[in-house]
Amino acid sequence: MKEKESSNNSNLKLFATILQKDIKSEVRQISDIFSVLLFGIISIFIFSSAYNTINVGISMPIEIFVTQIWMIIFFTLIFIMIKLFVQEKERGTLDGLTTSPVSKNIILTSKIIFCFILLSFIELILILFSFFISIPSTQDLNIIQLFSYILLGIVLPTLDLSVCGTLVSALSMYSKSRSFVLPLLLFPIILPITSPIISLNIKLLEGELLSLALMEILFIAAHAILMFSILVLVSEELLSD
Amino acid sequence: MSFNMNKSDRVLLECDNVSKQYGFFFALNKISFNVKENTILGIVGANGAGKTTLIKILSGLSSPTSGKILISNMDYKENNRNIKQLIGTISSKSFLYEELSIYENLKFYSKLYSVYKKHEFKEKIEQFADNFNLSDWIYEPISFLSTGMKQKVEIIRILIHNPSILLLDEPFSGLDFNSINLLIKILSDLRKDENLTIILATHKIEVIQQISDAILILKRGKISKFAPKTEMDKIKIESYF
Repeated sequence: MKEKESSNNSNLKLFATILQKDIKSEVRQISDIFSVLLFGIISIFIFSSAYNTINVGISMPIEIFVTQIWMIIFFTLIFIMIKLFVQEKERGTLDGLTTSPVSKNIILTSKIIFCFILLSFIELILILFSFFISIPSTQDLNIIQLFSYILLGIVLPTLDLSVCGTLVSALSMYSKSRSFVLPLLLFPIILPITSPIISLNIKLLEGELLSLALMEILFIAAHAILMFSILVLVSEELLSD
Repeated sequence: MSFNMNKSDRVLLECDNVSKQYGFFFALNKISFNVKENTILGIVGANGAGKTTLIKILSGLSSPTSGKILISNMDYKENNRNIKQLIGTISSKSFLYEELSIYENLKFYSKLYSVYKKHEFKEKIEQFADNFNLSDWIYEPISFLSTGMKQKVEIIRILIHNPSILLLDEPFSGLDFNSINLLIKILSDLRKDENLTIILATHKIEVIQQISDAILILKRGKISKFAPKTEMDKIKIESYF
């Protein structure tokens, strides 16, 4: 029992070490994140300008607002995916991780959380910016509704996208034409969750009851669990030549 | 295949019928050899002979299609994490994170091997940096260093967790004459002072002749010759390519 506890502690420490290194490394290359943010901000600006040119003085419907923001987030994910495994493989540092006595599942889990942190940070800025620029016609949400929107409408899909992103990044890192394979693999994997994510966000921003969005929540959660299970099952194969 | 290399008699590494197959192509074909403790084994061969594949398999980056590898009498498949704790690998690609400093890189890798307590990191890393004349650069990013200095950091990286075996794949590539001589001296000293076993794959036959105790020549994935250095001169080595 004690042995198991100490092994869990050591795994947690290794997980934290890899995650800390990834964050530190990313902070040192902050221009990469700025370029992703710039892409998102310009996209939101173009969307809003196009909408306002046609519909002067009419606030943006929630449907358009949500679709716009999630489309941009999906594209942003492609940029982040490159940072997870592809870049590490190209530089050779991934071999440093895989030759160390660290379980492959720990490496993968730390990458999922790193992707989640990075994506959440970008989403936070983009969503706030788009609320300010696009001015969607949202209902006045109370604290609980706002909390539900953040937790179920943003955090849950972001976690699912992070798992999918990590899986695709790991799958494509050995391919010679990675830049082509990466979006090509991502498309069928995230296609089933695009509609539920957008539908869930619309329902939550319209202040509907959670029970009405239960199907979407369960679907996204099940998809995240399924993708994570696949990742764990193939981890040994994914991280060896 | 094994013979007395006039060093310790304890066999540290045993390769038994190790093969690596990619489709119909055998990168390694039933390789068998032993390496005794505290020796330097030089692996030479033409391009595509299987040197890198062999180093990759021994370092755990790749798994053999068939055959058995024992290190310190432990089976690689069953004791993967314990064995990786005993090995330090230098590959042709650097394992160092360019944007992190020497200190941050070394701290990261020593944490992965869980060898030091929290308060010991700084002292140990500074001690190593001092031994390798890198004290003035310890808080500088790796990208600021010359190729020779980077290689010194790589050597510290593999020594920081007190390994028993060093696996070096083309460690002299990109180094000038002085740096090569310095690295040769470092490797010879490590064998002598730290009782390390070193397996070195390179194109540089003259280096192999200078420092190794035994030479293993690979030809198209098979052992073409395995003999003590004393039995081999340059022309003889090249005749087995």
